[in-house]
Amino acid sequence: MRPWLLLTPALLVLAVLLLWPLVRVFLFSLQDYGLREITTGEPNWIGTANYAEILTSPELWTVVLPNTVGFAVLSVVGTVAFGTGVAVLLASLGTFWRTVTSSAIMAAWAMPAVTGTYVWIWIFDADRGVFNDVLMGTGLLDEPTNWFTDRWSFYAIVLLNVIHHGFPFVAVTVLAGLLGVPKEMLEAAEMDGAGSFRRFFSIIVPQLRQVFAVVIILSTIWDFKVFAQVYLMPGGAGSNRSVLNLGVWSYVESFGQNRYGFGSAIAVLLTLLLLAITAIYVRTVLAEEER
Amino acid sequence: MTRAMRRPLVAATGAVLLAATTAACGGGSGGDTEGDGTLSVWIMQGTNPDAEGFFDDVSAAFEEETGATLDVEFVEWGDAHNRFVTSIAGGTTPDVAETGTTWTPEFADAGALAPLDEYVDAAGIGDDLVEGLVEAGTYDEQLYGMPWYAGVRSLVYNTEMFEQAGVEPPTTWAELEDAAAGLKEEYPDKIAVAVPGDAEFTVYPWVWGAGGEVATLDGDTWTSGLDSPESQDGIGFWTGLATEGGYSSTGATTWRETDVLDAFAAGDVGMAVMGSWTPGAIVDANPDMEGKFAAVPIPGKDGGIAPSVLGGSHLSMFETAEDKDLAFTFIEMMTTGEFAQQWGEQSGYFPGQVSLLDETLESTDPLVAPFAQQFVEGGASVPVAPTYGAVQAKLTTSTMMQSILSGDADVAEASKAAAEEMTGVLNGSE
Repeated sequence: MRPWLLLTPALLVLAVLLLWPLVRVFLFSLQDYGLREITTGEPNWIGTANYAEILTSPELWTVVLPNTVGFAVLSVVGTVAFGTGVAVLLASLGTFWRTVTSSAIMAAWAMPAVTGTYVWIWIFDADRGVFNDVLMGTGLLDEPTNWFTDRWSFYAIVLLNVIHHGFPFVAVTVLAGLLGVPKEMLEAAEMDGAGSFRRFFSIIVPQLRQVFAVVIILSTIWDFKVFAQVYLMPGGAGSNRSVLNLGVWSYVESFGQNRYGFGSAIAVLLTLLLLAITAIYVRTVLAEEER
Repeated sequence: MTRAMRRPLVAATGAVLLAATTAACGGGSGGDTEGDGTLSVWIMQGTNPDAEGFFDDVSAAFEEETGATLDVEFVEWGDAHNRFVTSIAGGTTPDVAETGTTWTPEFADAGALAPLDEYVDAAGIGDDLVEGLVEAGTYDEQLYGMPWYAGVRSLVYNTEMFEQAGVEPPTTWAELEDAAAGLKEEYPDKIAVAVPGDAEFTVYPWVWGAGGEVATLDGDTWTSGLDSPESQDGIGFWTGLATEGGYSSTGATTWRETDVLDAFAAGDVGMAVMGSWTPGAIVDANPDMEGKFAAVPIPGKDGGIAPSVLGGSHLSMFETAEDKDLAFTFIEMMTTGEFAQQWGEQSGYFPGQVSLLDETLESTDPLVAPFAQQFVEGGASVPVAPTYGAVQAKLTTSTMMQSILSGDADVAEASKAAAEEMTGVLNGSE
């Protein structure tokens, strides 16, 4: 009884701050809730019509979800791989260079997403961007190309942006894990003749399983919800329908149209989806742990 | 509208500034007797560079006339729509606020605004208001937005490039195309005419100029006319300048109006559809451009003036205003006479009162007169529907433009898809 008593204040705060908004979002998702409902304060129940509309939207299945899922997979793999590489590099550096390098990484991390996105837009700008300039200067390109109109090149730029912004977190977290790997184990493996690749994949990676679980889950959640990095790109706010992702689509379809009920339904579905992904991942990690 | 068009003007300063409510020293104000309280007002930031000074004067005059204090709060355009919605939800709306012309029917439909007709009639100023702005502020046959100020887009051109290429400002579409060809020959590396893909208000003049319609209301049903033969003719001409003539640039496929302004200010563009509020920004961005550009009204297909959207603001009274007479006294003070004229002069926009415009019309300034002519003779409104904001949020017109300019669809396909989507969203069914 006593533990619950002690937990009560914290639970109450959580219930008020987290649970109630969640319940509200769910209740909104069952209504056609717009500006008029806001003014009058009267509910407008429509059952599961919002959910039906979302799940039967052809745009969702042919464009939005493939873009979102494909992008999330690539960017999670990219961010984690690159971040881990940088962490290994950092671990092998001396104190001075480690400080220098990690400060540089922190700068990338500290840059707000909006600022970073504009820098990438400038780099790939059709008329004055440095990328087109170099390609044309070296004769690889005759005329300027607008990289933002094509689905693939558009997302390649978003990928660069998101990996650039996301890898420092992975690098720092994995570095912390790396420094915790017992030196004796690595030395023993080296004595047994294991090369550096073998040592990395057979000793370090298994030791860091939980660290990887955390960074992968967090990256998945973040990369699924990418918004500013797409919305701010030329054509990304909805005028190029082939690059819509879940974040932008739900914003345009709900907030852009004052359809707050519809937006809430999308939020509920996204939460369920991310919960499912997380649950599956945590289970696999735990299952391997037990083995 | 207006969010996009005024972005360049919005100062990049802090989110919301509380204006000095001034005149705290003067006795008599702040009493509890009726009509002697405080009037809360929201004004968009960045339209007038010296808005605080302006409202200091207004506050003083308002207090002198009514004994009430003015509480002006400046709101960023980017935040404003969300702030209106949350304050409507919470019942904490100001008494009077500046509302972008496309927001007025939306908030009126939501029941947040108070109709102004009886006040306007009582004041006898109904006939002196700019038609296009009255139209934009009228919802369900009632006036909810008092015309305050507006701008209009015309064809702005680089006089130096025109002289060098030996071409004249166009008065018909054929002349426009010839001018573009002449510019391209003289300046193969520059943009003869900028055809931006993400700027809906630069598209409609060509639709209207060819005799087409953006959308029309019949009974309760909206129908978009973007796919009519006339509209397709106009859209085809405008996009054809880029896709067939090669007079625009591939980068412009994703340009917004701010990008057009940047490129024009850099001296890279021969002509472009730009707003009457942009000359100042062009010179600010590049002082070398001073005196090197001028404007003409957007030509209709075979001459005349093609209609162009009046983009601007109303002053609206909210239902939450306790003392509506006091609120209208302020609205009238702001939108007519001396203060309206001052605001127009300081901000570079045109006032919403016809009698004030006459003076502007007599101007010979090459960067005022053509815009004024366009404003009076060729001003139009986007469809006045509470759902038009939703069409803008979906970027229906930009989607059409971008798909044509990037070669993903032809004019017929793209305009048909856009018209279907616009009709659906305007009627509130998707």
